[in-house]
Amino acid sequence: MAKVLMKGNEAMALAAIKGGCDAFFGYPITPQNEIPEYLSYHMKKEGRVFVQAESEVAAINMVYGAAGAGARVMTSSSSPGIALKQEGISYLAGSELPCVILSVMRGGPGLGGIQPSQGDYNQITRGGGNGDYHVLAFAPETLQETVEIVKQSFDLADYYRNPVMIAVDGLIGQMMEPVDVETSVPKKTIPPKDWAAEGKSGERGKRNTVVSLHLDPYMLEKHNFALKKKYDEMVDNEQRFETIQTDDAEIVIVAYGTVARIARTAIEALRRDGVKVGMIRPISIWPFPEKAFATLGEQSHTLLTVEMSLGQMLQDVKLANNGKRTVRFYGRAGGVVPDSKEIIKEVYDALGRQSS
Amino acid sequence: MLLGHYGSGKSEIAVNLAIQKQRNYLVDLDIVNPYFRSRSARALLERHGVHVVESTIENASGSDLPYISAQGRRPFIDSTLNAVYDLGGSHAGAKLLMQYVDLVKTFDEIDVLLVVNIFRPETANADQIIQLIDTLEAVGQFPITGLINNTNMLNETDEAMIFQGERVLQTVSKQKNIPIRYTIVEETIKTTRDFCGEQLSLTRYLAKQWL
Repeated sequence: MAKVLMKGNEAMALAAIKGGCDAFFGYPITPQNEIPEYLSYHMKKEGRVFVQAESEVAAINMVYGAAGAGARVMTSSSSPGIALKQEGISYLAGSELPCVILSVMRGGPGLGGIQPSQGDYNQITRGGGNGDYHVLAFAPETLQETVEIVKQSFDLADYYRNPVMIAVDGLIGQMMEPVDVETSVPKKTIPPKDWAAEGKSGERGKRNTVVSLHLDPYMLEKHNFALKKKYDEMVDNEQRFETIQTDDAEIVIVAYGTVARIARTAIEALRRDGVKVGMIRPISIWPFPEKAFATLGEQSHTLLTVEMSLGQMLQDVKLANNGKRTVRFYGRAGGVVPDSKEIIKEVYDALGRQSS
Repeated sequence: MLLGHYGSGKSEIAVNLAIQKQRNYLVDLDIVNPYFRSRSARALLERHGVHVVESTIENASGSDLPYISAQGRRPFIDSTLNAVYDLGGSHAGAKLLMQYVDLVKTFDEIDVLLVVNIFRPETANADQIIQLIDTLEAVGQFPITGLINNTNMLNETDEAMIFQGERVLQTVSKQKNIPIRYTIVEETIKTTRDFCGEQLSLTRYLAKQWL
């Protein structure tokens, strides 16, 4: 199919339909409202399920129910709404239920504001729910990449039997860009969902149960080890990143999402000035793409982490760097988007030089 | 008055028209979108002598409260003022027009223009566009008097795409007897073709370069 011009939120919603989403449960919150709005009529047209729940908590528990019955399900929200869903996300991970969660981040903490932010990095990568669990989390940069990741995420969720989160800042939700929603994406082989509680215990001859409750500590520990094995597999196989002009880079910017877009503009300008600068762009944020840092040459002496938050991804960059290079940080918060000029200044500061 | 599906480009066109046509007022009636609203070009517009009317709580970029200042009525009352009205997307945005219907002395002085980009999936063909016209006229209670061809793919736009949009809009124009008033061509695009209506060179003020 030819490209169309879409708004980020609409494109994610359409990608979910293309990815085989059977049911959507959500509750409105700015700046992601176009997702439920779009799905409210398009899911019905496709003969699928759309429910506007009475709250975010209700929506995530509906996701639990439908996922437990074997359906491909999705919910979406923005920062404080995702916070409300954390209990349900922990239960989904604990019960090994696949689902897709779209997180369109705005300024926080608390109710915060409605302008774009990346302040939920820790919420997403460390998890706000209880227990030893992770969600597989991606943070795309363009609408095309977002669409392709949303489409794949239903397969990834089913393959790992785990929640998958796609996190974008509000700008990617609200911006427009040409997209082709029909491009092919990698597929996983999904075993039949013989674990699902879909109401066929009569035919099957045994009852399936979906629980996260294991009262025997040794049984629960065994369950935890089994989950850990899946997370280790994700760390091995699902790290995604892009390196941009890092071959000769002395200074390497680390940025994702909208900030990576702005950093590209900064890099173009700096390269015109003869500054050897590149970028590591994490696409997966959990697992964090530590493999990317092993690709850097000896000439890369400084990493500059730039975020629309105040040093959250910075911790992962420091862990991946393991003390090897100087790590610097620049961040804006609360819905303020950095300008490319601010990044350019930070690069010159890091090099101890003035802009020419 | 600029109407259209959301994402059709109304706000960028509103800002450009207000500046190029030296309007006194730009009335931003968008209570649907949280970002990329014409009011965010306020400083620029004021420099060009365009007064921006927005929410009753002015300069609150973080607010999506649906309050519209009563100043939006002034151009209907004071006939020396001319204005551009930028509506929010789709039928929900067009509803806000109803509040002005009773103030209209004559429709002759009001252009109600539908902004269309055929690369938006909800307005991709003549049937969808005609359906949108019928819905917006029913909801807003203002007759649509002209079409704006804003067919674009942002940075990937070329002349052939604009022409492709023009052909679709010509069908709409014939069926609904509504002229194409403007064709929008971003300033970065070179054209040799003579498009329908007035060609309006567009500067992107709301979407930044990296968008």
